[in-house]
Amino acid sequence: MSSETRNDAAVQIDGVSKSFSGTVALEPIWLKIRRGEFLTLLGPSGCGKTTLLNLIAGFLEADEGELFIDRELVTQVPPHQREIGIVFQNYALFPHMTVAQNVAYGLRTRRVSKAETAERVAEALALVKLQDFADRRPRQLSGGQQQRVALARALVIRPRVLLLDEPFSALDRNLRTAMQVELREIQTRLGLTTVFVTHDQNEALSMSDRIAVMSQGRVRQIGAPDDIYDRPANLFVSTFVGDANLFDATLQGVQGGAAELIVGGAPLPVETYQEDLPEPGPVTLFVRPEQCRLTGAEEQGAVPAIVALSVYQGSYAELHLDCAAARGGRIMLRVPAAKALPAGIPVGIALPRTGPAIYAVEDADKEVA
Amino acid sequence: MTKRPFLGWFASPSILIAFGIAASFLAIVQYSFRANIPGALDPGGFTLENFTTLWKAIYGDAFLNTVLLCLWTAVFTLLIGYPLAYAMVRARSVRLRSAILLISLTPLFLGEIVRTYSWMIVLGNRGFLNAALMQMGLIDRPIPFMFTMTGVVIALVHFTLPIVVVMLAAGLSHIDRNLERAATSLGAGRVRVFLTVTLPLSIPGIVAATSTAFAWTFSAFATPQMIGGGQVQTISTLVYQVGFASFNFPLAASLSLTGLLFTVAVLAIFNTGIRRLERIGGH
Amino acid sequence: MRKSLLDHLLDWAGRIVLIAILAFVLLPFVVVAIASFNDGAILSFPPREWSWRWYANAFQYRDFGAGLTNSLKIAVFGATIALIAGAGFAYVLDRYEFRFKNTLNGILMSPLIIPNFTIGLGLLILSAAASLPRNLWLVVATHVVIVMPFVVRSVYVSLQNFERRFEQAAESLGGSPWHVLRTITLPLLAPGLASGGLFAAILSFNEFTASLFVVNQSTQTLPVAMYNYVREYADPTLAAVSVIYVLAVAVILLIVHKFFRLEKVLNVE
Ligand SMILES: Nc1ncnc2c1ncn2[C@@H]1O[C@H](COP(=O)(O)OP(=O)(O)OP(=O)(O)O)[C@@H](O)[C@H]1O
Ligand SMILES: [Mg+2]
Repeated sequence: MSSETRNDAAVQIDGVSKSFSGTVALEPIWLKIRRGEFLTLLGPSGCGKTTLLNLIAGFLEADEGELFIDRELVTQVPPHQREIGIVFQNYALFPHMTVAQNVAYGLRTRRVSKAETAERVAEALALVKLQDFADRRPRQLSGGQQQRVALARALVIRPRVLLLDEPFSALDRNLRTAMQVELREIQTRLGLTTVFVTHDQNEALSMSDRIAVMSQGRVRQIGAPDDIYDRPANLFVSTFVGDANLFDATLQGVQGGAAELIVGGAPLPVETYQEDLPEPGPVTLFVRPEQCRLTGAEEQGAVPAIVALSVYQGSYAELHLDCAAARGGRIMLRVPAAKALPAGIPVGIALPRTGPAIYAVEDADKEVA
Repeated sequence: MTKRPFLGWFASPSILIAFGIAASFLAIVQYSFRANIPGALDPGGFTLENFTTLWKAIYGDAFLNTVLLCLWTAVFTLLIGYPLAYAMVRARSVRLRSAILLISLTPLFLGEIVRTYSWMIVLGNRGFLNAALMQMGLIDRPIPFMFTMTGVVIALVHFTLPIVVVMLAAGLSHIDRNLERAATSLGAGRVRVFLTVTLPLSIPGIVAATSTAFAWTFSAFATPQMIGGGQVQTISTLVYQVGFASFNFPLAASLSLTGLLFTVAVLAIFNTGIRRLERIGGH
Repeated sequence: MRKSLLDHLLDWAGRIVLIAILAFVLLPFVVVAIASFNDGAILSFPPREWSWRWYANAFQYRDFGAGLTNSLKIAVFGATIALIAGAGFAYVLDRYEFRFKNTLNGILMSPLIIPNFTIGLGLLILSAAASLPRNLWLVVATHVVIVMPFVVRSVYVSLQNFERRFEQAAESLGGSPWHVLRTITLPLLAPGLASGGLFAAILSFNEFTASLFVVNQSTQTLPVAMYNYVREYADPTLAAVSVIYVLAVAVILLIVHKFFRLEKVLNVE
């Protein structure tokens, strides 16, 4: 690893791993977080997101590997000397202190002068729009307000990295959206390197510069939100992020850059973004619902299906279709609410020629999220 | 990274105390194998005589009395304590709950002497109970409660009741009320709900309470001493008598040691029996 | 909702049983209160004449005053030592793995099963063998051994329910381990520590059996003085002492109940 590549990384994780009494929580992980970047760790429950965050914060000690923050080796540095800001899901505001005392805590440990402390606390509270709440106790605040105090408390020490572990999961939907926007604004303004943990894919897609999708202690793909959504690297990412329709297909060969597939008895040439395709033979075809087009039952080359259920969702309707060619016999499409069809109507599904991905069948058996 | 920054500071005082406990235990073991020299406080050479002495009838009787007292006390304390704990946890009015709590728990903080002395006044030949019964014309001669097993059991039940209630109530309060509601919704009446849901689920509390009642009764001294008045000898009263009346500390030590081994054995048997019971209770 | 006849019967039976049990619990205290006002030196029910003389006698009897002073001293020192040692041990028990942890725990908790007379006898023999003086500190040591398991247990429960995130947040904000302990852990544990210490003091104040083995004339505690009084005199002075004792404890408990809620302290919520 050259020192130059290390230069632009605010946090560098080199082969860090962690087991708890025999069970592996985190396989060795290599990850570079860029300065000023908003990186989201996304993954199902138990995949090791919190473990990774705790390793960065220093609450856990890595079994192996090294950790750098601002090029400084911190693997052996205790949490209180790491200069890291952290916001927890349940806020962890000190109940025996006022809002101002909570925010001032990190300045007092640094022996910042009284005058400067007062100034910086006021500034931080203004940043999260809580100037008027300085003398309240945490339990006199709403959930959203408590979350802001926790954020102010972490920001006031001007941390080298800000870590947030599912900070908004206890908030209702509207408040959550508001907080997401607010956090992103503050983060961009301060140019703060941020690691954000969530298992909410919409949150991840809308907020992040980059997303690291994790499962079972491994990072399965890291990339910009559109990379993750449009060009998933494997079946796990395909199915965990966004909705997926999977078809049983046969790969016959590759001709002129297009894969020759048979789906539901009909031939389908497909251009994928993938560099590696599985061996010819039975494969799994992955298509996003919005890439499928609903047609009449008799349309040439369309995969036949029957409407099983139509679910009204306000601006659109979800059509759940019984389809013999689909894995598990079911696929889902979204149509304008006005175009919803009653159950029992036979339809056809036209599959796209570009965009979908092809995976080996054995992947599908173990990787569907 | 120092991962256990306070280990030395925080553990040292308790290590010191643990050494004290271990040393006093060893002192008892050591003394129980030493000969008694009448008139001298220092013990003589090594001997097994103390343990052979224990085969004498008065020591056997003391063991038997102690076991019987433990048994009766446990049975009656559970019978009285369970309804009390149930009422304490389930009473609807907060005031009633608080009242039950204070009344049944205050004795816990009163110590053995006050409580035993009070029972002496209640149970004596000229005491409250006999006076009341005679006044009502139910009896014409006092019933002897003092210096009898019955009297000692009554006072011991009163002595162990608070701690048993605390433990039963702790167990009962952790039962999810929705389980009972579910049973009711499935058509079970109150009695059936209690017998099929509440009681089985409170078995862990009952078990904990019983073993505590046993330990407390076994270790009780003032009650058998003052109410038994030398007529109801237990291991505790005998240890005191051998030590402070005969000044035979080696024998007192061997008696204590035997008693302790006996307690440990009973609690161990108890614990293994319990695991089976708990399986029935679904834990 | 209409109640069946059986339900009504159950309700009434339950009430009667509850009242009977509460009466059993209260009976000796009511009786001792009546007896304390009995004018004659020999008890009779109902008392023929009433008087306060036994209360006066209780306050004049020297051993009770000396015993009370000793008991208070012992309770304060014993509970303080037990609280410091016990809280420290509960902390390492909850947070750390170390060698001999289980052994240490087993030894420190053993007084819960070892009868108090055995503990008293053991410490008496030990002090004799080590030629230690039989002074107040021996009594304090005995009480520390006896009450410490209760302190450890109560602080341990508080620690188990303690939200570790508070400490982690404080650490990430730059607090060193000692600073976090002082500014976060201790203040948040204060209620648990206070109730543990108070509980220890009350237990120590009441301890009788083990004390009987280790005290001498000058270090005797109040319960021992009371026991010795019953052996020597038959008059109702001790009834008067008992009434004062019960009232004092009830008042203390009421105050504790107000501040801590006993249900919580005793884990019966
Ligand atoms: N202290 C611990 N002791 C034992 N196992 C642990 C411990 N902490 C975490 N684990 C295990 O490690 C794995 C990863 O846990 P982690 O908390 O990192 O998951 P997560 O991705 O944060 O999940 P969630 O979304 O539910 O918070 C899980 O299988 C978990 O059971
Ligand atoms: Mg987590």
